[in-house]
Amino acid sequence: MTQSYIVVFKSEADMPGTTMSLGSTLYNKTGSWRYMRPIYRNRTSPCNHACPAGEDIVDYLQMVVQGDLEGAQQRILAENPLIGVCGRVCPHPCESDCNRAHLGGAIAIHCLERFLASLPGERKLPQTDHTAPPGAQVAVVGSGPAGLSCAYQLARRGYKVTVFEALPVAGGMLRVGIPAYRLPRDVLDAEIGAIEALGVEIRTNTRLGHNLALDDLQDYHALFLAVGQHRSRRLGIPGEDAQGVIPGLDFLRRVNLGERVQIGPRVAVIGGGNTAMDAARCALRLGARQVTILYRRSRHEMPAIDEEIEETEQEGVKIEYLTAPVEVLTTIGKVTALKCVRMRLSDPDESGRRRPEPVRGSEYTLPIDMVVPALGQEADLSFLDSAIHSAGGLILINNAAVTSSPCTFAGGDAATGAGTVAYAIGSGKRAALAIDRRLRGETLDGFPPLAEHVRVAARDVDPTVVQFEGINLAYFQEEARTPQQRRPAADRVRDFREVNLPFSEEDALREAKRCFSCGTCNYCGTCWLYCPDICIRRHPKEEQPSGPSRSAYEFDYDYCKGCGVCAEECPRQAIVMEEELKWKK
Amino acid sequence: MEKVIMGNHAVSYGVLLSRVQVIAAYPITPQTQVVEMLSEFCADGRMKASFIKVESEHSVMAATAGASIAGARAFTATSSHGLALMHEVLHWAAGGRLPIVMANINRTLGPGWNIWTEQTDSLAQRDTGWLQFYCESNQEVLDMVIQAYRIAETVLLPVMLVLDAFFLSHTEEPVDIPDQSLVDSFLPPYEPRYKLQPGDPHSFYGLVAPEHFMELRYKMQRDMERAVQVARQVGADFGSTFGRAYDVVEKYRMEGADLVLVTSGSIAGTTRVVVDELRTAGQRVGMLKVRMFRPFPFAALRESLADAQKVAVIDRNISYGHGGIFASEAKAALYGAAHQPLIYSFIIGLGGRDVTPQSIRSIVSYVQEHEGPAEQIIWMEVKK
Amino acid sequence: MSGQVLDEVQIKVPDEEWMTSGHVACPGCGAPMAVRYALKALGDNTVLIVVASCWSIIAGPFPYTAVNVPLLHTLFATGGSVASGVKAGLEARGLKDTTVLTLAGDGGTFDIGIQALSAAVERNEDFIYMCYDNEAYMNTGIQRSSATPWGAWTTTTPVKHPKDQPKKDMVAIMAAHRIPYTATATVAYPEDLMRKVRKAKGIRGSKFIHVLAPCPSGWKSEPAQSVLLSRLAVQTRAFPLYEIEHGDKYTINVWPTRELAVHEYLKLQGRFAHLTPEAVQQIQETVDFEWKRLVNRARASGQEVPSDQLCPG
Repeated sequence: MTQSYIVVFKSEADMPGTTMSLGSTLYNKTGSWRYMRPIYRNRTSPCNHACPAGEDIVDYLQMVVQGDLEGAQQRILAENPLIGVCGRVCPHPCESDCNRAHLGGAIAIHCLERFLASLPGERKLPQTDHTAPPGAQVAVVGSGPAGLSCAYQLARRGYKVTVFEALPVAGGMLRVGIPAYRLPRDVLDAEIGAIEALGVEIRTNTRLGHNLALDDLQDYHALFLAVGQHRSRRLGIPGEDAQGVIPGLDFLRRVNLGERVQIGPRVAVIGGGNTAMDAARCALRLGARQVTILYRRSRHEMPAIDEEIEETEQEGVKIEYLTAPVEVLTTIGKVTALKCVRMRLSDPDESGRRRPEPVRGSEYTLPIDMVVPALGQEADLSFLDSAIHSAGGLILINNAAVTSSPCTFAGGDAATGAGTVAYAIGSGKRAALAIDRRLRGETLDGFPPLAEHVRVAARDVDPTVVQFEGINLAYFQEEARTPQQRRPAADRVRDFREVNLPFSEEDALREAKRCFSCGTCNYCGTCWLYCPDICIRRHPKEEQPSGPSRSAYEFDYDYCKGCGVCAEECPRQAIVMEEELKWKK
Repeated sequence: MEKVIMGNHAVSYGVLLSRVQVIAAYPITPQTQVVEMLSEFCADGRMKASFIKVESEHSVMAATAGASIAGARAFTATSSHGLALMHEVLHWAAGGRLPIVMANINRTLGPGWNIWTEQTDSLAQRDTGWLQFYCESNQEVLDMVIQAYRIAETVLLPVMLVLDAFFLSHTEEPVDIPDQSLVDSFLPPYEPRYKLQPGDPHSFYGLVAPEHFMELRYKMQRDMERAVQVARQVGADFGSTFGRAYDVVEKYRMEGADLVLVTSGSIAGTTRVVVDELRTAGQRVGMLKVRMFRPFPFAALRESLADAQKVAVIDRNISYGHGGIFASEAKAALYGAAHQPLIYSFIIGLGGRDVTPQSIRSIVSYVQEHEGPAEQIIWMEVKK
Repeated sequence: MSGQVLDEVQIKVPDEEWMTSGHVACPGCGAPMAVRYALKALGDNTVLIVVASCWSIIAGPFPYTAVNVPLLHTLFATGGSVASGVKAGLEARGLKDTTVLTLAGDGGTFDIGIQALSAAVERNEDFIYMCYDNEAYMNTGIQRSSATPWGAWTTTTPVKHPKDQPKKDMVAIMAAHRIPYTATATVAYPEDLMRKVRKAKGIRGSKFIHVLAPCPSGWKSEPAQSVLLSRLAVQTRAFPLYEIEHGDKYTINVWPTRELAVHEYLKLQGRFAHLTPEAVQQIQETVDFEWKRLVNRARASGQEVPSDQLCPG
């Protein structure tokens, strides 16, 4: 290693006879030249920004690239214990925002998550420090994703958690709202089982407001209400209570609990969300001859996940757009037809979507045997007492998930109405962290707003979200997204076996390698390669830390002239240039 | 072995015997025979040297310097315009402390084109830091090549040995060519102090700020001054080994001389004949031949001229606006000396005009007829 | 170059450095980058000869040096001649495998040094001559050389009278000497540059590598954009990357994938800011013409030309 020292000649006798060097230029600390300095500052990737469950997606994708599949799995599990679920049913807002969409297609994050959920061997949930005060116990009402997430985060911190579940089986919407062909029962059972293995007790058939009262939960030090939204919104048209009209959520619940349901040969499902898609597809599988979905807006506005809509259509369900039912027609009290009217889109309503308006005189009649309205969910909050406030059908909570009653917390659809599994998981995690703080006597200040996610193991990153323009395309080729395979449509409508096929390890690695790693240093070495002053120090591979505390290379500020080549070339905007004056004492 | 050879070939034999490792050369009249013979020596294996046939004299010295700093014993030869063209590289080689030996065949600088002898070309390089030795005979030429390497490699400064165009370069004289083994005993292989050595990296000749530069120049001058004693020692050693000793000056019949002719190169040979003549006629005339011009042998000059009344310096060169160069150096040497002879500065033989015994006699006559020079420069045999 | 992880970069570009920080190149200078990569490719059995140029200063003052190989500073016109002498001297000492690498700027190669270079390669001297071309006499303050591109501002080709002659085609001149190996390279493509230097090391005879090295000071560009500019030069075909063996076998190394106008490269440099649209168009036409000619030569040499490269514009 070349030394840095200053050569001093006391007299000519010390000097060589001619101009011959004796030392290296390391004596010259050219860092004094700069007026801007580069800093490794990881920025927020759009996927991380979007994930409501608070997963650190870019971090675990890079672990997959490095070959550490176990590590990647554990990384997600720290934030979200239900990765087999999310890898199948999440609407993946991460993918919607993924910058790679502009160069070959968004990374198939949900397929990767499912792949990591399916690693061989028994599921081991990652440990964390126990922080629970001795004897602390918490009651969670609802074993849906919010309740399970909250129970998990508390149990791993040493709390005794009891989950009260109204239905005969645990899982909430995961169990009764999502059919098995999207979320196999064994996958769900295993993930719930892993949480139970931490000591969480789930008491089924216990409904708050029926055989359980709020007063019964006095002995618990904290309460988390995660009852979800299991009531279907009404159609509000004449005839909707006739025989043959089954609300979507009820229909799905009965199917998922294995009850026999009478399926009319001709089924009309009203609505454009995932519930509508699932109801239609279940009806098909249960023998309906013809299933039609009626949606009052256009395809563009349909809230269901695109892949779901595609699968639904592949299976032979017809979707009619810009139409809405106005009356259920019956004969002897049984549904025989549905009177509908064509719709037209005009200005946007409060949801931001264009408001549908009936087209006068365009009524028509559809012969129908069964109507399944799937217009949205509502919570049954009849069990609430006066201490716990609600509004608009949702339990009121603040950023720390606390209700108006100090030791009562709430989350999931019952408090947020968000309607997605990932959001519920994030919500449950927030509540768990808040409960932990409250029970340890710490302040509840500092939680991010409800619209933002909460992380257990947050990396220190700049909140700026990396846009596609921030990616240096010189370092990437166009590579197409690995498509997820499905079973053929004709085959899959015959049963409830899983429709989507898993990624192989090869697929997973290929897909993970396409990740830009937006804003997150992944040791590509580009900065080191181009630095004209050779002042970037790399750690040898064996010494690189990974996981949330991973840091990037080091700048040798003794020599860095602040040219900015590193920041300009960094493929993923993980380097920022700042004024040197800010750093001078 | 004794052979009758031209001066240029005497150079070539000297180079062969000195076991030179790298030669770079570019042809110019009247140097060409030096390199032609060397080319044959290399081709038939008598010399194990690389011969780089560069495309100009500037490249000649650059290549020679490159070979020298790479640690090899290097040689070249040139003349006149070739020497002038490599001027900047001469400074580089000297400042680079490279023990290169170069034979320069004194030839007039044009315009107009003139291939005959004049000393101005080599003397114009007197500030470069090269040692300079002026040879009187082909024997001296061969002997000087060998001595030059010993001197150069001791003081780490390049050495230029100078011989007159045609009078020496192309004139054949009997020359004793010593045995290789004898030369080997006198001149060991080159052990470079400063060299490019993979594994021991240094950078050479980079930027030097004023704060360091003077010391380097001081060291160079000091080694130049040391070179006087080194040359005398080497010349004496040469005598012990080969039977022909050399000193930085040669005093010829100067005992009790009132009139001393100071000269150099082939003119010294002519002057020798006239001195003999005049001594036979009873005149107290002697010759001081200056062999080493750089470093200028101040002490030897003062000591030699301590008893002379009249000193005639014969220059076959001119520095325009000043005068004969040996004359000005001699005057500088005598400045402040206890005894101040009258110094007459003669310029003769420019452009290769022949200097005959009659020319020397005319010079002596002038000195005898004038108590002191009538002019700053006494031009001989010019049609005025 | 796709997004890479550490292993790949380590394999292609060795970790070991033969240069130190503390050198005095301007921030963002392409010249130290070129030498860093060349030395990584050659290792320590190398003698580096630095011809008078920016690198004479970049290397650091006496008594310091910025490289861990022997370095010989030499006079402006002597890149080819000193190298010949050094090589002969090293061989005389038995160091037959030491690589002699002459590093010269465009001035010392295209102009004052061309004579000695031509002579050295005509003799097929065994050395690598690497010209780092920043397209003007930068060390003395941005004066034009014959490597300055047409239309560029320099202090001796001011805006009212910019450079009126095209850039001298030094690569063609070298190829005309029929030397074993001639190549172009640039700092945005370090692996390509290193491959070429290594290839040169393995060939006996004269090897000439012309490296485009952006100069933020002289090009009036952002220091941070030196690598970008170097890449754009290649991608806009203003400076194609190719090799010529024995003066007639052409191989193009990088086929630009998009039709990128040369304007994209020029607009980032203040030295071209005064150009009219007509002037830019003229530059584009010249670039297209020369690219087409190069492609034809590559095809005639037997290289397969990708179908989307047949005729730009």
